[in-house]
Amino acid sequence: MDRKEKKTIQAKLDSFHSRKLWQDKIMKRIFQGSALLAALMIFFISYFVISRGIQPFLSSYGDEQQSLIAFISGNRWRPDIAPPVFGVGFIIINTLLTSLGAAVLSFPISVLTALFIAKIAPPKLRAVLTTIVELLAAIPSIVYGVFAAGTITGLVKDVGDIFGINTYGGNSMFAVIILLAIMIFPTITSLSVVAISAVDRSLELGSIALGASQMETNFKVVLTSAKSGIFAGLALGLGRAFGEATAVSMVAGNRMIGPTWNPFDITRTLTSTILSGMHETSPGLDYDMRFSVGIILLLVILATNFMIQVIKRKVGGVTHE
Amino acid sequence: MNKARRRKDIMRTSVTWISASLAVLVLTSIFVFVFKRGAGTFSWSMLKDDYWSKNYLVAFGDVAANDFAPPDTDSEDEFFSRKFGFGLADSVDKENNQLMLVTTVSALSPLHEGTITTAGPDQGKVMAIPLNARIRRIDYLDQENNVKSTGLLGQDHSAEGAIERLEQEATAIREIYFQSTGGGIRGSIIATLMLIGLTLLFSLPLGISAAIYLHEVAPRNKVTDWIRAAVEMLAGVPSIIFGLMGVSMLFRVTNLFGITTQSVLLGSFTMTIMLLPLIMRQTEEALIVVPGSLRMASLSLGASTTQTIFKVVLPNALPGILSATLLSMSRIIGESAALIFTMGTAISDSPKISQGATTLAVHIWTVMAGEQPNFELATAISLLILVLVLGLNVTVKLLTYRINKKWQV
Repeated sequence: MDRKEKKTIQAKLDSFHSRKLWQDKIMKRIFQGSALLAALMIFFISYFVISRGIQPFLSSYGDEQQSLIAFISGNRWRPDIAPPVFGVGFIIINTLLTSLGAAVLSFPISVLTALFIAKIAPPKLRAVLTTIVELLAAIPSIVYGVFAAGTITGLVKDVGDIFGINTYGGNSMFAVIILLAIMIFPTITSLSVVAISAVDRSLELGSIALGASQMETNFKVVLTSAKSGIFAGLALGLGRAFGEATAVSMVAGNRMIGPTWNPFDITRTLTSTILSGMHETSPGLDYDMRFSVGIILLLVILATNFMIQVIKRKVGGVTHE
Repeated sequence: MNKARRRKDIMRTSVTWISASLAVLVLTSIFVFVFKRGAGTFSWSMLKDDYWSKNYLVAFGDVAANDFAPPDTDSEDEFFSRKFGFGLADSVDKENNQLMLVTTVSALSPLHEGTITTAGPDQGKVMAIPLNARIRRIDYLDQENNVKSTGLLGQDHSAEGAIERLEQEATAIREIYFQSTGGGIRGSIIATLMLIGLTLLFSLPLGISAAIYLHEVAPRNKVTDWIRAAVEMLAGVPSIIFGLMGVSMLFRVTNLFGITTQSVLLGSFTMTIMLLPLIMRQTEEALIVVPGSLRMASLSLGASTTQTIFKVVLPNALPGILSATLLSMSRIIGESAALIFTMGTAISDSPKISQGATTLAVHIWTVMAGEQPNFELATAISLLILVLVLGLNVTVKLLTYRINKKWQV
């Protein structure tokens, strides 16, 4: 090989390498850009929902400017009268009532089912139950809504009839609670299964060695040790309950004043308010107010997560000491 | 162990059994309810029919009477015209309006060769009168060649009367005015497929490259953690908030394409963002199980990072990416709240990307939200959605099982 030939080969190799490096750099930027875009979305969402949601309370909104205090503390939601009244206070209470009611109903059942799946069930039954929980989580909310409108409302109506209470055909706070309890069940259960399975085996063996039975160990050692994971499941379940829209709207009934204390009475949640009468709304005050309710929804979810973190720390602290 | 403790133990065991059986009970009752209520309405014609019934005026060029044999399955409520070879029956629709439905059309009947005369793109096309068409008016020629009408808009208001009059007076049929059945979900099925296609087109490249960045390229530092946390937060945002974001933020993006209303494109943009956490998490899990030795072998042979990612890592992560795709499809099929805002609730029989339409899930919402909820159609669509979504999820489960087996995880 003479010198000239060597040189051309070297030049070719160099250009090949530099092309590869250059390609690497470009692709790296593309990957990085995608990841940054994905990360920025949460800020875009917050910005656009909040900036539109606060519009009606600013003086720049003109004649239809709303009072923030009346909005937060209001107990009537009447977009249909003139001038319209938008009070979200009772809706917040309704949302908290239905979601917490669902959590109270669903939490014990979910945790016990998770304990059953993780510790008690024979292996084959465990696989079946895990699949069932996964399928329940996969069922879309609109199907839950149709199911609730077809069965749960009928059930509530029958119970109401026994006590002689008029139930608006079964659309009621009670129906919403049962529906939400069913919908958050798979969320809490699957996270609890993970938490319970992660409990250190030596803790269990220690408890059994001290003379506790297997079931006593399960209830008093395993569940308490898995507490933090179980509470994470509850937080996620509550988040789902607060944010659930279509299914809830199908059985809530959308009461215009409140709050609703009677479980057989119709109710109105934040999400059902955002969705109600969507098809007949055109851009304007009624439309913008949905964004304001959206802000409240985000705040409620944030506050709940924060509270659960605090509770978790307090409850968790006792066992570690 | 004393008696009291043993009794407590048995109680504890039974509570967990009862809780677990409640889960089974709920799933079973959902299945039983949807299949029992939906199966009756579920049919092939529901899948392929338009939702809105259309009016048609079809001319037959004064086709002359003939002699047709009535069908064997001649029931009491069905009346057959021997002259023109078709059967009619009385019926009522949901709003209790009287209807006259076509029940049979003989093979050689002139009703197979009409010409559409209604103004519109279909004008002049040959059309057969379909079964279950709602006959409004039949124009015929009598013995003196006068044009006369029968049917609900003509002289007779029952199938029996109309057929009798045709048999006695008519020498030829001139025109038939009818409405197609409607109540089908073909448009929503097409819209759902369009939404799935568009959404995957945008979200897969974005989600996969973001996941590649996080797992293959990114340095382990605060910024990377921060990106992960931000994406995780995105997963916790309720879908209705995505809907609000779609109409306030992404609406401006679709405006750039000249779309000024809710549209399938807007829906697909919204779903793209909504699915990012899911696709990123699934892809990253697939990347994690690809053994590091494969990457090192590729790099040591002189391949660049890009070559390694595209030719070694991604092909091996393909089953995981496939399950991400299937799960995304199942989420798109089931999504309703965000799409009510971004795609609207008006059912369209011929959906376009630049216009609003309903997916199957929003179709249910629309028929349930009206003054008179159409429960039959809603459960029938629920049945379809349930079968699709659960089928996709079971496929993903099998797929994951096979991947884990392959890498011996």
